[in-house]
Amino acid sequence: MKFILVTFLTALLIIIINPFLPYWAVMIFIAILTALVGINGVGAFFAGGLGMGLAWLGQSIYIGIISGSQLPQKMSELMGLGSDMVLFAVTGLLGFLLGAFSALSGSLFRKSLKRKPTNIYGG
Amino acid sequence: MKYIGFFVAFALTIALAVAVSRPFGAIPPLAPLLDPNNGFWQNTFSEDELAEEELELSNLSAEVKVIYDENLIPHVFASNDADLYRAQGYITAKHRLWQMEFQTMAAGGRLSEVVGSLALDLDRMTRRKGLSYGAEKGAEFIKENDPESYLLLEAYADGVNQYIDQLSDARLPVEYKILNYRPEHWSAFKSILLLKYMTDMLVGDRDLEYSNLRKILGEVMLDKLYPEYPQGVDPIIESGHKWGFKSLSVTRPDSISYPDNLLLIDPMPQPEDGTGSNNWAVSGSKTKSGNPILANDPHLSLNLPSLWYSMQLTTPDHSVKGATLPGALGVISGFNEDIAWGVTNATRDTRDWYKITFQDNTRKAYRYGDRWEQTTFRIEEIKVKGEKVFLDTVVYTHYGPVVYDKTFNSNRQDVNFALKWNVHEGSNEQKTFLLLNASKNHEDYNEALNNYTAPAQNFVFASKSGDIAMRIQGKFPLKWRGQGKFFMDGADPRMEWQGYIPNDQNARTLNPSRGFVSSANQHPTDSTYPYYVFDNSFEFYRNRRLNNQLKGMSNITVEDMQGLQFDDYYLHAAEALPIMLGLLGKDSESDAVAKKYLALLNEWDFYADPNQKAPTVFYIWWKKTYAHIWTDLTNNIAPVVLPSYYQTVLFMKNEPTDSIFNLKNTADIETAATHVKQGFKEMLVDMAKWEADEGDFSWANYKRTKIQHLVPQFKSFSVDNVYTGGGSGMLNATSDRAGASWRMVVELGEEIKAFGIYPGGQSGNPGSKYYSNFINKWANGEYLNFDLRKSDQAEGVLFQTILN
Repeated sequence: MKFILVTFLTALLIIIINPFLPYWAVMIFIAILTALVGINGVGAFFAGGLGMGLAWLGQSIYIGIISGSQLPQKMSELMGLGSDMVLFAVTGLLGFLLGAFSALSGSLFRKSLKRKPTNIYGG
Repeated sequence: MKYIGFFVAFALTIALAVAVSRPFGAIPPLAPLLDPNNGFWQNTFSEDELAEEELELSNLSAEVKVIYDENLIPHVFASNDADLYRAQGYITAKHRLWQMEFQTMAAGGRLSEVVGSLALDLDRMTRRKGLSYGAEKGAEFIKENDPESYLLLEAYADGVNQYIDQLSDARLPVEYKILNYRPEHWSAFKSILLLKYMTDMLVGDRDLEYSNLRKILGEVMLDKLYPEYPQGVDPIIESGHKWGFKSLSVTRPDSISYPDNLLLIDPMPQPEDGTGSNNWAVSGSKTKSGNPILANDPHLSLNLPSLWYSMQLTTPDHSVKGATLPGALGVISGFNEDIAWGVTNATRDTRDWYKITFQDNTRKAYRYGDRWEQTTFRIEEIKVKGEKVFLDTVVYTHYGPVVYDKTFNSNRQDVNFALKWNVHEGSNEQKTFLLLNASKNHEDYNEALNNYTAPAQNFVFASKSGDIAMRIQGKFPLKWRGQGKFFMDGADPRMEWQGYIPNDQNARTLNPSRGFVSSANQHPTDSTYPYYVFDNSFEFYRNRRLNNQLKGMSNITVEDMQGLQFDDYYLHAAEALPIMLGLLGKDSESDAVAKKYLALLNEWDFYADPNQKAPTVFYIWWKKTYAHIWTDLTNNIAPVVLPSYYQTVLFMKNEPTDSIFNLKNTADIETAATHVKQGFKEMLVDMAKWEADEGDFSWANYKRTKIQHLVPQFKSFSVDNVYTGGGSGMLNATSDRAGASWRMVVELGEEIKAFGIYPGGQSGNPGSKYYSNFINKWANGEYLNFDLRKSDQAEGVLFQTILN
């Protein structure tokens, strides 16, 4: 449940704040998000990654469709990628990696702050 | 343990974030580029999708209305000049920011900052010939002599800068994102620099090559192969024109000693082949409507974003429309409610070289007559992307900068040559265009032109009141016959220019009886003009075709003039081919392949239309023949230029067995026929290869007109294989990389009818649908409606914006 929530919130975060802030600021917000929500490392990694990756992929596809521009094709030729399909995939993948590592850092940061229960046997 | 996990993840995240923010070799920083919200994806939107009804522009005295027609041509309505040019700067930057900055980086010798050390030699050359130095002089000159214009230049710069200051990452032009830099502020200086850059693009000299030719051939042979006034020249100002002024006298030194060793220097870059232009105006007596019609098509390198940007600029005092240069104020080639004007390059040798004899290795002084003159040093600081700053010391003499010295472009020789060029003297070309934009009649036009120095232009003019005129305007040095054709000795004060031809003695004509004025980069006048006029690059074909057509035409319509701009008649072929076929004789007719090509050539009507095959065959045959004829000249180690096509054809026609056709190092005696036959054989080889590799050899497919992005490596931003006819030496001068960069036809009736087109689009953004949308129309010879618009006109509006 938390996994879906983090995925959803990450994607939402991208859509709301990324238009105004560069990618690295978004990464900080994702880390803060996972730190606040409290999700384990593996979950954070994939939820953050999927959230940002899907958001970037979706946004690029949406922009590509509504603008009808030749630019994605021209850019992929310029970058030696051949087809614009590859460029969509690369955008999504990059989003995944940035989101995943940010979320993982946030999650592990929360974990590192958790106080170890020192007095487990009571006394 | 738990800390270690966090720190590892954190370090990885930081490393990743940093890695994707940096370029790797040629790969730009990935994340800023691919971010769909800020990266290149945002550049996929066209201007109409991003239209805003209101934009903030400070320092205006009243609101400015900008109406875009369906071709994204902005029509700017302002209440005074300062508002108008502030808005022009803002709107131009909005559509062409990267281009205008990139061009001034090139002009200032600063490309290395953007692309790295591969541009260093180019930057050094640009700086050593003193373009920035000239622009600094120009800025001082305008500040001092014309503070009003300077204020307008600053208003324009402020408009550009207000755009830059509010520019978001998303809206940043994609070239900045790929090349990974950001725009810096614009300035009045940069606008002036841009106009100097135009001079650099349009003015060449062949003093180096002529010096070598003089040494190799001797003066007699030089004059035979390169006559300054070949037979059959049809000058710009109609032959027989009466000059009506008393000319200044020029004294030629009685003895002249030229620096006389062969010069093994790499020549300076020259204007691209195919840069030239046509303009003409026909008087009402020759037109169907009785109104004058004016036409202009400047030929330049075909680039994207296009060199030109169309605009209408309106204040309560004037309303002007046409082609602007992004970075310069006003319209450069256009019309207003009363007049129209256009420009072609008035090539003339206004750039001369002086040999400098330094006193010693410190280069602090140089010989001048019987004394030593002091030099000054200008340190050029060239920033190089990813490397340390390159410092280049350029020595300045009173002539100008020492371009060639031991540190630069000198090939095995210890040489020092200073460049004298009027681009280094203060001048105010911007004023000419500001005044022309608001001119109402022939008098105003002349007044505007008096401010103009360089690059010298043939300014065509027509007015609603019925006048047509042509004036060749530039600041032309007063020279004795032959002065500046060769490198001169800078130690000899008698080699100095003796002043300038006064403005009112520059060649001009008003309402000539033949009913038209025209220019196409040919000789400016007949031989009666009382001043020495020389250039290597006068054109011989377009002007004769144009004048012959205009002479024969009557009841002329706008469509006729459009047709003439798109005329593919290959006059050079029409003159050369019959001679070549005659010299070839019947030998080749036994060969079946040869027969096929000869049949094509024999049936040809001499039009180089895109689907024709004969032009390709002729073109290759001619190139091979020409190269073969002048083999001895090309084999020299010193750089030279070859005789013109025109002169070569005259020799082939009139003296086919003359000794000029004989090659020295062969046992046989060659004649013109030998070269023609050899050229034919080589043509067969080339054609066989072309047909095997490519198949179709129709003209458009062979010449492959390409409209190239300003960064040639950005191949996908260029448009290749444009299907269109014409070529160098034809009125439709569209060759592979150069051609009509702007076509305009204006009829000056009660209601002005205007048409224009250029090979590009209004948007500088390769992602926009307005980036290259004019190209197909341009290639077909079609035009856009360029009529003046009123601010309340409702039809054909794409969107409108209020600047406030």
